[in-house]
Amino acid sequence: MASAPHTPPTQPQLHSRWLFPPFPTSQLPTVSPSPMEEETYLELYLDQCSTQDALTPSRSPLLSPAVPYDVDMLTSSNPETAFNPQLEEVTETYGSFSAVDLSLLPDELSQENKDQTVIRSKNEIEENCKNQSWQTRLPLSSRMDTGLALNSSSGSSSHSRLHPADGNSAQSSPEKPHSLPLASITPMTPMAPISECSGIVPQLQNIVSTVNLACKLDLKKIALHAKNAEYNPKRFAAVIMRIREPRTTALIFSSGKMVCTGAKSEEQSRLAARKYARVVQKLGFPARFLDFTIQNMVASCDVRFPISLEGLVLTHQQFSSYEPELFPGLIYRMVKPRIVLLIFVSGKVVLTGAKKRSDIYEAFENIYPILKGFKKA
Amino acid sequence: MNNTAASPMSAATSSSGRSTGKSISFTAELQSMMFSLGDARRPLHETAVLVEDVVHTQLINLLQQAAEVSQLRGARVISAEDLLFLMRKDKKKLRRLLKYMFFRDYKSKIVKGIDEDDLLEDKLSGSNNVNKRQKIAQDFLNSIDQTGELLAMFEDDEIDEVKQERMERAERQTRVMDSAQYAEFCESRHLSFSKKGSKFRDWLDCGSMEIKPNVVAMEILAYLAYETVAQLVDLALLVRQDMVTKAGDPFSHAISATFIQYHNSAESTAACGVEAHSDAIQPSHIREAVRRYGHKIGPLSPFTSAYRRNGMAFLAC
Repeated sequence: MASAPHTPPTQPQLHSRWLFPPFPTSQLPTVSPSPMEEETYLELYLDQCSTQDALTPSRSPLLSPAVPYDVDMLTSSNPETAFNPQLEEVTETYGSFSAVDLSLLPDELSQENKDQTVIRSKNEIEENCKNQSWQTRLPLSSRMDTGLALNSSSGSSSHSRLHPADGNSAQSSPEKPHSLPLASITPMTPMAPISECSGIVPQLQNIVSTVNLACKLDLKKIALHAKNAEYNPKRFAAVIMRIREPRTTALIFSSGKMVCTGAKSEEQSRLAARKYARVVQKLGFPARFLDFTIQNMVASCDVRFPISLEGLVLTHQQFSSYEPELFPGLIYRMVKPRIVLLIFVSGKVVLTGAKKRSDIYEAFENIYPILKGFKKA
Repeated sequence: MNNTAASPMSAATSSSGRSTGKSISFTAELQSMMFSLGDARRPLHETAVLVEDVVHTQLINLLQQAAEVSQLRGARVISAEDLLFLMRKDKKKLRRLLKYMFFRDYKSKIVKGIDEDDLLEDKLSGSNNVNKRQKIAQDFLNSIDQTGELLAMFEDDEIDEVKQERMERAERQTRVMDSAQYAEFCESRHLSFSKKGSKFRDWLDCGSMEIKPNVVAMEILAYLAYETVAQLVDLALLVRQDMVTKAGDPFSHAISATFIQYHNSAESTAACGVEAHSDAIQPSHIREAVRRYGHKIGPLSPFTSAYRRNGMAFLAC
């Protein structure tokens, strides 16, 4: 990487990207993602550059969610595991995210900061999202050489995985430094992290999903022949089966419907459900795999400061219920998105009732500034 | 309904004779509860003992009346319906009870969804449990409602002023605490009679009753006990506030004589060298609060004694 002043790999690379943004109005926040994601986010950013160059340099392109840099991304394995298997799935469009972002924009911030906030808040929401909507914006154009240093060495493998047809990124990196439009760029100083963004990612704890095997099942036969299956018709009219990888439990009903619980991600839930379906298939039933739907997702996280629940229940009466004699947590019913949050004094937050991962992230981003307002000194 | 007209004072004297044999005491828990409801950091032991007596007497009376009601309808256990029936006169308190029951249902629904083991347990136990308390309440109120006003309570969304005041008081109390004190405060807020189920049952001497309360009825009783303590603290705080004569208060000359007597007795004990904690609620406050609560003042009060129920005024209902 022969980019003059800010050469070497990973993180400083990103700084260099700041200092030479392709257009004056964009700011890039400090990020420190793991190398692999970094490349993908890089792709996205470059993609954004290409589209933005096509548009007039105005504010609005920034709102298009194409800059999923991770702000303070915690080294959690979740994003990576969630990330990889879902590369093929494009489930959501951009539209929903723009709506979210606008609602998070604080009014008093300066324009600069506003952009940062927008980008950062998008990042928070998108960093682990399973929707790979950015993939629809591939292939990247040749505008790669707009002044970004690419860490092609560390990223080439991921490059090839994600963008098999795209060789531009690797190629353009050597020449990049030379094509920097330095004259038009005012160097910006690195921004401190904006306090509005939480930097905390809720971790999924449990996913409940259902699927229709579309055939009548003989529960007794299943219980007799399958390993790890319980069946007690007097207690409950379903077979309870468990598998170890992914560690899940399934309730299989004679109608052919099945409930799968215990998985820690959407993909794992689907995989587990397929495994159960295969078990049933091997026992001789013509099992299919119809209408797999995620019914409920539970996530938890820790804001790491004590919260004054008395204050919160007083000011947000229409959303919260708090009966400490019954349950130590405050139950907050968020309307948009429709999520129930359990907020504890210690700062732990449990989110439940979600059907999509993005709902959870959105709900947490909504509640975080509220919780900060009730931080117990 | 026959009742022993037991005022708390006489109950105190009579039960103090009994209490020497009584091994179960909630005094320590009550002290924590009173702190969480607005009393000082360390409520007085004497106050807690007095509160325990009041609550005990009232609950025993309530249980007896509930047993009579259930006998009337020929049931074998005291159930939630009997207690709801006793509370039918006071709409606000009934509404608060209903909200509590619904919250209990809602909370178990949510907590079940979170833990997959809970989910299985619930399915296995034959799930007709969703919103069971709400169903019980709705069905029963439906059956006794003549004018439609009881059922209207389900849709009612008025703000519960008493609860609002309690929330505000708690918020004021916690505003000045640091996080360690706040953690202690939260711990004491978690205390309730329902957590100590078997001790609570023994305390009420349910074992020796002919008709015993069932599970939901016990939940409601625990809630009513907690409500009684909360009401007592609310009223005692009001009394204490009244006792402080404010300059320019036009009615300070109209404070009742009994009031001043208690106030003076408190002062005299202080003069005798007993250190009275200035912040904590004194037994005299509690006594005055109960006296005022039971004292029916009104234009027709000299004439209504024949019709008045011969019994104590229940704080919780």
